[in-house]
Amino acid sequence: MIEVENLNVVFGHGADRVHAVRNVTFRVPEGATFGLVGESGSGKSTVLRALSGLNPDWSGRICIAGEDQTRRRDKAFYKLAQMVFQDPYGSLHPRHTVDRILMEPLAIHGFDEPDRRIEQVLGEVGLGPSFRFRYPHQLSGGQRQRVAVARALILEPRILLLDEPTSALDVSVQAEVLNLLQRLKKERGLTYILVSHNLSVVGHMCDDLAVMNHGLVVEELAVAQLKRREPRHPYTRQLMVASLGYDRAAVDKFEDFGAEG
Amino acid sequence: MSGPAQEVKSIGLRAWLLSSSPASRRQARLGRTYLAWLAFQSNHLAVFGLSIVVALILLAIFAPLVAPYDPNAQVLADRLQFFSAAHPFGTDELGRDIFSRVIHGSRLTLYIVILVAVIAAPIGLAVGTTAGYFGGWVDKVLMRITDIFLAFPKLVLALALVSALGPGIENAIIAIAITSWPPYARIARAETLTIRNSDFISAVRLQGAGRARIIWSHIVPLCTSSLIVRVTLDMAGIILIAAGLGFLGLGAQPPLPEWGAMISAGRNVLLNQWWVATVPGVAIFIVSLGFNLLGDGLRDVLDPKSGGQG
Amino acid sequence: MERAKNEKPLLTIEDLKVDFPTRKGVVEAVRGISLSLGREKLGIVGESGSGKSLTGRSILRLVTRPGVVTARRLEFDGIDLQRASEAQMRQIRGQRISMVMQDPKFSLNPVMRVGEQIAEAYRTHQKVAPAEARRRTLEMLKAVRIRDPERVARAYPHEVSGGMGQRIMIAMMLIPDPDLLIADEPTSALDVTVQLQVLAILDDLVTQRGMGLILISHDLNLVASFCDRVIIMYAGRVMEVCDAKNLDAAQHPYTRGLLNCLPKIDGDGSSLPVLRRDPAWLEHGQ
Repeated sequence: MIEVENLNVVFGHGADRVHAVRNVTFRVPEGATFGLVGESGSGKSTVLRALSGLNPDWSGRICIAGEDQTRRRDKAFYKLAQMVFQDPYGSLHPRHTVDRILMEPLAIHGFDEPDRRIEQVLGEVGLGPSFRFRYPHQLSGGQRQRVAVARALILEPRILLLDEPTSALDVSVQAEVLNLLQRLKKERGLTYILVSHNLSVVGHMCDDLAVMNHGLVVEELAVAQLKRREPRHPYTRQLMVASLGYDRAAVDKFEDFGAEG
Repeated sequence: MSGPAQEVKSIGLRAWLLSSSPASRRQARLGRTYLAWLAFQSNHLAVFGLSIVVALILLAIFAPLVAPYDPNAQVLADRLQFFSAAHPFGTDELGRDIFSRVIHGSRLTLYIVILVAVIAAPIGLAVGTTAGYFGGWVDKVLMRITDIFLAFPKLVLALALVSALGPGIENAIIAIAITSWPPYARIARAETLTIRNSDFISAVRLQGAGRARIIWSHIVPLCTSSLIVRVTLDMAGIILIAAGLGFLGLGAQPPLPEWGAMISAGRNVLLNQWWVATVPGVAIFIVSLGFNLLGDGLRDVLDPKSGGQG
Repeated sequence: MERAKNEKPLLTIEDLKVDFPTRKGVVEAVRGISLSLGREKLGIVGESGSGKSLTGRSILRLVTRPGVVTARRLEFDGIDLQRASEAQMRQIRGQRISMVMQDPKFSLNPVMRVGEQIAEAYRTHQKVAPAEARRRTLEMLKAVRIRDPERVARAYPHEVSGGMGQRIMIAMMLIPDPDLLIADEPTSALDVTVQLQVLAILDDLVTQRGMGLILISHDLNLVASFCDRVIIMYAGRVMEVCDAKNLDAAQHPYTRGLLNCLPKIDGDGSSLPVLRRDPAWLEHGQ
């Protein structure tokens, strides 16, 4: 479904040049969930933005649903792949009602029966019709993230790109949103790419994952390997130890994995 | 919009407006407006400013009914009279009733202020949002043009323009509008730059929205509120420039009862008949104050940066 | 609470309430919580809106208007914090009780060099010569394991990374040698490994100096693995207090719910149990 080969992303020129993503290669079969794991600055979100078409400064090969993608995407592409952002407070227009937020993509793509579609998608993400005319400031963080998921789904895409979709939420709300994503995936046969720094979330959601550090994929592994606590790369092992909680002795063994990866 | 009228009756208008789950677009919008009004209302100075502005508008509309005399009727026998029952603010050097002239002058003031706002604000908004969203050379070209206009003091540029176009109230308006838009463009551009990279703009880009749609229905509405605030605060300045042009004889021409021109006419007799120049001066002062107070109040309600609607 | 009885408590809070009057009536953000703290590591855990941060802020009288703080008892080392004058509070803040906030960027002065800021924090409370303050500053930067203290002391806040910034904050807060440190989500903005490294620094300093520490966080697992005792808050009330190592044996349905709804690294992707909130929790609490 998604093939990425030798993806490189470079920002800036001269002294400010940042090679944010280096020779990243992976493939995601249809219906799978692929995790991209890393700490801040690892380039995981940059990969996602290149895939989504938000960032045109990439080189390499991106093939989605059998079609090689160019830097500029056409309208049809956006019906194929949609994105959910990390910050539920920043991803909804503060002056638009839920109704208007969901109406916009339908208007752009000329879908019929907008009212029916809006009510249906709101139901699917677990928000009743009473939420339809609310403004974002009248919603909690979890409800906002559901609206963001609804907005991504209303064009009936086959791929969802999830950029840390639950890291800004309380754990109880995180559980609800993860459950929602799992259910939608089953119902609609979606393919996910999930970017996260949280190995537990990735372990719970994904089939395969790639661990990134300083723009490089240091290791690609099946989730089963992670669950058996058998990652090969020391960086992955360190992330795994860190995700298990505070352990004074373990912290002393932490290394600083530099740009060489 | 299914029968909001019945609901209003059964649960009360206030509850309907403050409902946290509105049932229609209209209810959502009205509720939002009502909340803004509640916030505005709690600022007494702003309400005072608003009432001055409303009074100005009402006076302008009903000027012929309120004014006891024709503003241009000259009664040379009654020149330069002090306040009296017949002439509450006295008369000027041609025996015209100053009270009636000030009231009719409110029409001119409002005319100038509204036209300048209607011309300058949209130009500034269009230039600023376009420059901010596109960036690159579009931004450079548009902003350098803006800078050229900003390089001259407002009044001097307006003076130059009016002397080129010829004196008269329409030309004064055009000149003021041309000198007023650059700050609006700068504000709109700055706002656009902060909005441009936010996630909700990325989201709408990912839905395939074109640039025109993004600028028009996503960025412009967010810039308008700070622009409205700025325009309101600028109203006082616009009135003063218009009065200044009038004073210099480059704005409204006699016998139009423009406040600045009235002050100008009264300055010859300022020492002996002080009221001739002072009364229109006080009118300018009150109206400027009203717009300033209103602008401050609006800023508290509308400006997204100072909290308000979260 | 048995442990606290053995020694004289450093901090005692009884029936602390924080109210916010709004247009729609009074919002009770903290509804009568009590706790006592010795020289130990105490964790306060809760979701957003649980009142955990306000609890920390009320100790230092940092709740901003229109919030109203009341308590039957609010005592720190024999000092009644409710009766203390503003001048006394200034003495206590920083010198005896310090606070580390979530984002160092907002707590550091952007136009002052890091070293100067730490030295100033020291000299506000201690009458020492500039050279002595500088020496102590470098010592403190070394104590929070900054490898090149001289260079970092000369840097401006925007020139340092998030993890480094938080270490600098900790150095600044600990240089007057306080008895109690309140850390409000001190590591939430940091990467996991950096987060643990910063906590390790805190851990060592607290142990060496015999301070009390209140760690306020949303991360139950992290707090449980770091602290001695954990207070679980919900909607302004204490749901449960338990020893950190016995967290797995927690009784309260809210604590259980929080623990269960966490995804596990070896989870199978099936539905996570969703936390059900019971209005009755608000009446009983603790």
